[in-house]
This record gives sequence, C-alpha cells and structure tokens, in this order.
Amino acid sequence: MRTEVLKLSTVRTPWALLAAAQVVIVLGATGPFLRDARGPEAVRSGAAHLGLTALFALVLGIMAVAGEHRHRTVGDTYLGQPRRGRVLAAKLGVHVGAGAAFGLIGAVTALATSAVAVSISGSSADWSDRALWQTLVGGILWNVMFAAVGVAVGALVGNLTAAVTGALAWLALVEGVVGQVLGTDLARWLPFSAGAALGDLPAGGGLSQTAGGLVLAGYTALLVTAALLITPRRDIT
Amino acid sequence: MSATGIAVRGLTKRFGAVTAVDGLTFDVPAGRVTGFLGPNGAGKSTTLRMVLGLVRPSAGEALVNGSRYRDLPRPRTTVGAVLETTGFHPGRTARNHLRIVARSAAFAEHRVDDVLERVGLTAAADRRVRGYSLGMRQRLGLAAALLGDPEVLVLDEPANGLDPAGTAWLRGLLRGLAAEGRTVVYSSHVLAEVAQTVEHLVVLHEGRLAYEGPLSGLDGSLEAAFLRLTSI
Repeated sequence: MRTEVLKLSTVRTPWALLAAAQVVIVLGATGPFLRDARGPEAVRSGAAHLGLTALFALVLGIMAVAGEHRHRTVGDTYLGQPRRGRVLAAKLGVHVGAGAAFGLIGAVTALATSAVAVSISGSSADWSDRALWQTLVGGILWNVMFAAVGVAVGALVGNLTAAVTGALAWLALVEGVVGQVLGTDLARWLPFSAGAALGDLPAGGGLSQTAGGLVLAGYTALLVTAALLITPRRDIT
Repeated sequence: MSATGIAVRGLTKRFGAVTAVDGLTFDVPAGRVTGFLGPNGAGKSTTLRMVLGLVRPSAGEALVNGSRYRDLPRPRTTVGAVLETTGFHPGRTARNHLRIVARSAAFAEHRVDDVLERVGLTAAADRRVRGYSLGMRQRLGLAAALLGDPEVLVLDEPANGLDPAGTAWLRGLLRGLAAEGRTVVYSSHVLAEVAQTVEHLVVLHEGRLAYEGPLSGLDGSLEAAFLRLTSI
C-alpha cells in the first residue's frame, strides 16, 4: 500500500491530471455565469462539472496497472509480491483514496470558483442549498468509483493505449451509439449514464442520483471481481 | 534434492499451439556461476520467468531453495532478478525506483545508497531513467536485484549493453557473489564472455535440455560445443 503511494507521488502524471481537472472545474463552474445565468441553480449546474472530472480519476486508475505493463515494471512488482491479488488490492485502495482526493479538491475548487463568480456577477447564492451539496457529494463518489473502475479496466486490458482509448471511446462514443440502439429506457443503465445521474450532470442520466450511484457501484464491483480473477492467471512476458 | 539453488522439474510451457518449453529438468547449484545458454527462441527467458513466478507453467514446477517462488515468504531476500531490459518508469529517478523496490520489500532505506554505490550509479542516482544508456539501465536492474542481499541471482542478459569495462566489472561481481555461496544463473549470447565467467552450464535447444554440467565437461571450445549442441 505504501509502495503504491510512493509510485503515484514519484511521477508527474497524477499532478498533471489533477491540474487538468481543476481547469475543467473552474471553466465549468464559471460557464453558467458567462451565459448570464444567476442564482443557486447556476452555482449547482456549474458545480456539477466536478463529476465530469471522474474521467481524470478513471485515466489515473487505468495507468496504475496498464502503465506498469506499458513500462514493464509489472514484472518487478510481482517479483516483490508474487501474490498478485494483494498488489491489485493495494492499487485499488490507493486509487480509491486518490479518487476521493480528486473529488474533494475539485469540490473546493468548484465552490471557490462559484463564490468568485457569484460576487463578480453581483448574483446571489444559497450555500445551504441541499441540491448543491448533493451534487458535490455525487461528484466525489463518481470520482472514487471511476478510479476503482480504472484500476480494474487497466488490469483487465493490460495494454495502456488500448485501455485508455477504449475507456474514453466507450464514454464519448460507444455508449452514445449503443444508447441509440437500446433506447433511453435501457441506455440509462449504462455506466456513464449512471455516473451522470450520480454526479447530477445538467444533461442528467435518466436515473435518480441514488439509483445512478448504486448502478455504478454494481459495475465497479463487477469489473473489480473480474480483474481479481484474471490478474493471477496473466503471463508476464 | 538439495534445498539450495534452483531445481527445475518437468517444466513445460505452451503458448497456444507453440510449445516454448518442453519437459525441462535441470539443477542450478549454489556456489558457482551458471551460464544459461541457447539460441533465440530456445525458451531461456520463458524458463527464467517461470522460475520467478511471472509465467504460469503448463506442467511441471520450478523450485528456488526448495520452494515455488510465490510461496517464498520474503521473495526479494531469497531471489534477486534482472529481466531483459527490466522496465523502469522513464520519469522516475534511479533512486526513487530503488526506494520503491526497497519499500515494497521492507528493506532499510540505506540499502538504496549501498547498492547504488556497488553498481557505480551514485553520481547519476537523481537523474530520470529516461536519459540512461542501456548499460546504466542494466546497472540499475542489478542494483535492484542486489537490494535484498539475496541468496539466488537470476539474470537475463545482464551484460547486454555494458561496455568492456562494465563487462569485466560484472564478471568480478558475479564470481564474488558465487564465491560467497550464492546461486548465480545468467543467460547470455556472448559465449566468449560466458566462457570466462561461468563454471557450470545449462544449454537449451528448442525448449529442451541440450547440456547440463560443468564447463570443463564440454569437448573443445564453448563455441564449437554450443553450435554442435544446438544444431541437432
């Protein structure tokens, strides 16, 4: 576990991803005000961009395992801990933590940006707005779960490029196309839609926030289980 | 069967329709440097990776000091390994790479400085591995293998990329480690170098054992014997 923390903190990519996530949040939280939206609803829809940054947590998680295959450090990792399930468990633990950190830092950024935007635009905000806080909590949880999904996907796919492009293509393209085929009734059960519902994206996912969270948790559990089954059988050549 | 050294028993590995390693049985004794030879594709790397638990055998087993690798309680104190161009994250410094290995195996932090010194990388320790030459990467791999002061060293092409001075240095290092009673096995294609370094040999050909025994047991030069053993 401590090894995995050291692995994360001794390369620059996590920091770059975290910084990129903050840029998205600042732009996203400012956006509604630039479009002359005002009031609590503008703050909430701006803050919902926090959930979108789960994509960065996802990429971070994918790199945790697939990155080790890419740089061929995974052999070395398994030499030190031949019981591979423990390695994967440690990576999951650390990246769930990193996802939570991404979510919390992003939430602070979103609130700070909104506060500045509110005061500049001379608008009003209701900081006790329950919906706002639910949106932020949903966004944090989305970050946490997508970090775990990323670790699992990275373990299942192995090839870094394939895993990252595959995961992002799924979210940006495939899920939309599959959704068209399935119709909205079924499409809302797909992972990104579930995440969108959990993170309370303005476009929404079709499910309630709680249902979205539960569905996403189900996908996460499924992928993690598959990863735990496959990992010990993989030949490291 | 002795409890020191490496024992390979009926080891077989099939990748789909290809049988890379076919019923191998041999021993690597402690206290000597053993050369692990064979043409490209003979199954050397696959065999070493099965010894290290990275590749699952289709049949048979490989024991290190009497245990399968994954059953070793503290693998890095028993076995140090250098794999063919062992991976390093290009953005990490040599010192951080070794710190990660040291931490994962619960070795004292000062061991990092010890092994950096031993392989001659102290001056370059805080540079990112991206800028390392192949020879420097080999030294870093060796440093990682030596961190746990292991009884068994498994080295896949460790001389690859070393300059003449580095090669001579490696020879002295391996002989010194074997003289301390450790098990040292290394693969190489540079037969002239192998002939100067090893006392014991295991030769593979098409996934099967072609020779096992002392270097002195071969007829003629190592090169002549090798070509004869692997041309059948």
